[in-house]
Amino acid sequence: MAEETKFKCLRCMSEFRLPYRHGVTEERTCPNCSSNSVRRVKEDKK
Amino acid sequence: MADVGRHPNIELHAYSEVDAVSGYVGNFNVTVRKKARYVDVKECTACGDCEDVCPITAPDEFEIGLSTRKAIYQPFPQAVPSAYVLNIDECLGNNPIACGKCLEVCDKKCIDYDDKDELIHIEVGTVIVCIGMDVYDPTPLDEFGYTRHENVITSMEFERLINSGGPTQGHLIRLTDREQPKTVAFIQCVGSRDANRGNPYCSNFCCMNTVKDCLLIKDHYPDVDIKVFYMDIRAFGKGFEDLFQRSKDAGTIYIRGIPGEVEEDPETKSLKLYVENTTEGTMECHEADMVVLSIGAIPRKDSSTIQQLLTLQRSQDGFFLEAHPKLKPVDAATQGVFFAGCAESPKDIKDSVTQAGAAAARANRLMMQGKVKVEAITSTIIPDLCTSCGICVKVCPYNAISCDTKAKTPATVVEAACAGCGACSAECPFGAITMKHFTDVQIEAQIDAMLEVDAKDKVLAFACNWCSYSGGDLAGTNRFQYPPNTRLIRTMCSGRVDKRFVLRAFARGAPIVLLSGCHFADCHYINAVHWTQRRVEKLWDELEKKGIRPERLQLEWISAAEGQKFATVMRAVEELRQKVTAEEIEHTKKALAGVLEPRKPRAATKKATEQEAAAQEAA
Repeated sequence: MAEETKFKCLRCMSEFRLPYRHGVTEERTCPNCSSNSVRRVKEDKK
Repeated sequence: MADVGRHPNIELHAYSEVDAVSGYVGNFNVTVRKKARYVDVKECTACGDCEDVCPITAPDEFEIGLSTRKAIYQPFPQAVPSAYVLNIDECLGNNPIACGKCLEVCDKKCIDYDDKDELIHIEVGTVIVCIGMDVYDPTPLDEFGYTRHENVITSMEFERLINSGGPTQGHLIRLTDREQPKTVAFIQCVGSRDANRGNPYCSNFCCMNTVKDCLLIKDHYPDVDIKVFYMDIRAFGKGFEDLFQRSKDAGTIYIRGIPGEVEEDPETKSLKLYVENTTEGTMECHEADMVVLSIGAIPRKDSSTIQQLLTLQRSQDGFFLEAHPKLKPVDAATQGVFFAGCAESPKDIKDSVTQAGAAAARANRLMMQGKVKVEAITSTIIPDLCTSCGICVKVCPYNAISCDTKAKTPATVVEAACAGCGACSAECPFGAITMKHFTDVQIEAQIDAMLEVDAKDKVLAFACNWCSYSGGDLAGTNRFQYPPNTRLIRTMCSGRVDKRFVLRAFARGAPIVLLSGCHFADCHYINAVHWTQRRVEKLWDELEKKGIRPERLQLEWISAAEGQKFATVMRAVEELRQKVTAEEIEHTKKALAGVLEPRKPRAATKKATEQEAAAQEAA
């Protein structure tokens, strides 16, 4: 199972969580504005 | 099949597997592993004496375990070649010989326990992939009780049960008491059309297979009651609706609803099916002596091996993806490779035969020409700049580039295999690969020209030829309004867009750059679009490090049918452009001034160094 990671839409700037598998390139869409400019936000390990 | 076996122009390799495929259209080299049969095919007359004396019994795979076979057996009655095969893992006569009865009884002495696998190398011009399909295993769907209740069987098992050549010679019996069932229930869409449990797609043939089975039962056993539980009956083919009506007229009862539970009577082994009849809106309980689960099709388990061997694409359902659903429905994206049958999608016999004929014709047309038209837009290696790093080999979706990284010899491109996506050219860090008709110089000249005047008012968009650019065309023909300050640069694939192009556009004062390509499932170059995404993700990081807002580089996947989306995206991007300040643009230009300087090639060879020195001296 892919873990969920935080992503940020570079069009509407909304943040959301999507499944993410390291090394796997997938088509991602912003749930808010449907943009594909979705960038993974690197979360700090606590 | 017998005709195929006897045909003078067909070389049949039965009981064999493809180990490796190299080469390209017109020049494929295929390595076939001919598995050891332990029986001389030429000598064996399929008399069956060996089978009679063999003491081993094992489940018969062809009869799906409904009967047994011996360790030496004929895979199925009409097998071609008509010869026996010995399963050495089950045989007692192997190392040390403990049995050897088959060898003793064989008059022809055609059994050889020391037989070995043989590798055969074949040169072929085209390849047709027709590996078929597997069927869904309904065991995880516990509510139907498959494997828990003996009288719940799959449609494949039922097929063997009523086949005149099957284990019961075509007599319909229950597995528990060998008696003829009085009521048979069929449950449709088992493992199909359910995204959560099973597969989301329709398996195409199951409805008509059930209709056929119902007619067959009614023909032979008119007294047997048949109930079919379904979601929808999809009788879309020629004559199918008529067949469906005939089965209803013959007395088959169709109930709209899939049973939620199948219970077994421990004594009689009869079954109770609890179902919501969605037509009547009632909860019902139906009794049946036998339940047949109409199971769907799934891709072959070795599909990924074939995919790697032939650099093929697969759709989300796991079946092989055709080059184009309408214009090239039997072609693979790799030139010279075609599909037939269920390898491409679940289909019935008629469609499989049609597709096989089309694939054979497509392959024949290619080979009859004797020559292959290669793509005009292909990549070319500049040997003097190549450092033999091997990145291009990894990037190429078609395996068209080879490079010996140890010997440090420059990479080479097989132009016949290259489809011209340009991903290699964009990924090469040394500028050692150029694309014919889409060279760096040409694209950079377009960027410079488009941003020469009033760059701050423009939106520069890179659009792939097949999808996004066509999407733009569609937006135009449909009169969807989008801002007129959009400037499009066409590349064959978004994978061609070098990061230097994007940085150059920013350095020339572009407020916003949009990179658009095909949706992942539509990529015309197998998976070149994946490299686009990876490159853009790296570019966002790089821009951020340089103090440039990453949102100034937008990424969109727009298909040729999405004219509306194209216009919407362009309007959204224009809104983003208006937020980019003049100070920001100036800062960007300063930060990226270096990219406007000509690329300094890293001299890979002594010759290149010498040439560079001579050029400098001359200058």
